[in-house]
Order: sequence, then C-alpha cells, then structure tokens
Amino acid sequence: MSVARKALEMTKAATEAIVQRAETRYEAHRQEILRTTDRMFAGLMIGQWIFAIFIALTFSPYGWQGKVKAIHMHVWIAVFLGAAITSLPVALAWFRPGELLTRHVIAAGQMLWSALLIHLTGGRIETHFHVFGSLAFLAFYRDWPVLLTGTVVVATEHLIRGILWPESVYGIPNPEWWRFLEHAFWVVFCISILIPSCRRGLRDMRVMAERGAELEALSENQWRTSSVVDRAAAETRGDR
Amino acid sequence: MTVDTTIGGARKGYDRVEVPAPGGGTRSLTRKQFESLPLRERVGFLIEGTAQFFLDGRPISASDAMRV
Repeated sequence: MSVARKALEMTKAATEAIVQRAETRYEAHRQEILRTTDRMFAGLMIGQWIFAIFIALTFSPYGWQGKVKAIHMHVWIAVFLGAAITSLPVALAWFRPGELLTRHVIAAGQMLWSALLIHLTGGRIETHFHVFGSLAFLAFYRDWPVLLTGTVVVATEHLIRGILWPESVYGIPNPEWWRFLEHAFWVVFCISILIPSCRRGLRDMRVMAERGAELEALSENQWRTSSVVDRAAAETRGDR
Repeated sequence: MTVDTTIGGARKGYDRVEVPAPGGGTRSLTRKQFESLPLRERVGFLIEGTAQFFLDGRPISASDAMRV
C-alpha cells in the first residue's frame, strides 16, 4: 500500500472516529438532560400529590361549599385520583428514565395534575397558572413534541370537563361555550415561544459536540504534523 | 504559512476559510457556510490541515481560528 493511500485511509478512520465520538457526546448530553428532567418530574409529582391532599383538607371545603368547613370528598379524590395520576409517571421515571414514552406520559400526567388542582380549588382561575408553569417545566426536556402532548391533554380535558362540569374548571356553572378556546389560545401562545426555545437548545448542544470534534481534529492534525517533523529530524540525524 | 494570533489585541476566531474544491483548486466560504458543512467534511479538512482560515483578510492558524 502506498504511503499516500495509507495516509488517506488513516484520515478516513480518524474522521469516522471523531464524528462518532461527537455523536456519542451529543447523545450522552441529551440523555443526561432527559433523565434529570424525568427525575425532577418524579419528585414534583409526589410533591404535587402531597400539596393536593393539603389543598383538599384546607381549601376545597371553602372553595366548593362556601362557609362551612367539613371533611370533604375531595380529600379522597386528592388521595386516590392523585395517586393514580402520579403512579405511572413516577414508575416510568424510576424504571425507564430517558425513554420517549416516559416523558410523554409525564407530560400527560403533569397536565392531569393541573386539572386536578383546578378542580380541588373549585375552578379557581389562579390555579390555571399551574398549566403554564408545567409547560415551562416540560420545556426542560428540550423535546418539543412533549409540549404538544401536554397541550392536547389540557385542551381536551378543558373541553370535556367544560361541557360536563364547567364549575369544576371555570368556577362558574354557565361559562360561554367558547371559554375553552380562550384558555387553549394562551396555551398555544405559551408553547409557540417554548417550542423554538427547545429547538434552539438542542441546536446549541449539537454545536457544542461538533466544536469538540473540531478541536479533536485539530489536535490530530498537530499530532501528525509533529510526528512528521520528528521523523524528518530523526532521518536528518541518521537515526534508525 | 503566515500566522497572526492577535488581531486588534483580541482573538476573534475567523470570518472566512478556504477549503479544497471537489474539482481541484480552492473554494472560499464564510464562517457560517463552513459551519454548515457536514461535520465529517469539516473534520476531514482539519485533520488534513487543508483548510486555511482568515480573519479580516489575514491568514490565521487553525488553532487560533478554533478558539472563538
């Protein structure tokens, strides 16, 4: 094999190895973000469960019955429905962190938590802020389809509950039929900013990984150059 | 190769690069165009040392170009 051909093959092999390492670094970084966010949501879900029980014990009796404080069925709703909403996302975050299904189930679960908290506070409008906070947290994944899952779940939930039990979601028994569209509009407004931000975050991660590859390539070139210089110097000295 | 590591007292990376053209000769790319090339191609140029970087029209070394 000629020297030129051998050099070309070495360059190809080094290029492949460097590109592969860049891809591995990018994937490892992405997986780390996904797993960390899964774990964060697992903790958040359990925290929300405890918070929901607290709300059911303290706020729901007033929110739903006005003046009289009594043990309320919402305590049981918070305990059992809260457990049902929490269990699958937390189990997936624990046993299958970083997987596609896990983050979509978490997105759906988080939106169902918004729904439950809204219900427990008697459709209190301020509790709707939980939806927007949750969307912002879901953006930590930097995986924009997760935001679509969350949006579809919360919009569907608002539509169905708005028809069947409007007081539970809007705090009034007879809201305008189009009220869910107004809520959905603000959700879409929110994700229209978050989605480009997620995409930019991924692009930045890719640039970082590629930057590392370029520096590796540069280092490889410098190593080769110094090897050639060393060999030439050795030949000049007459070394064998 | 002429190497200028500091221009205007600050390191600025590069704004243009010349790389070998497929049919022979060289082609001049802006930084954005170079960064848009497939990674495999960029890495190949850097390993072979066939990319010549420029800043404000003056050639700079690849290692200075890659600093910023």
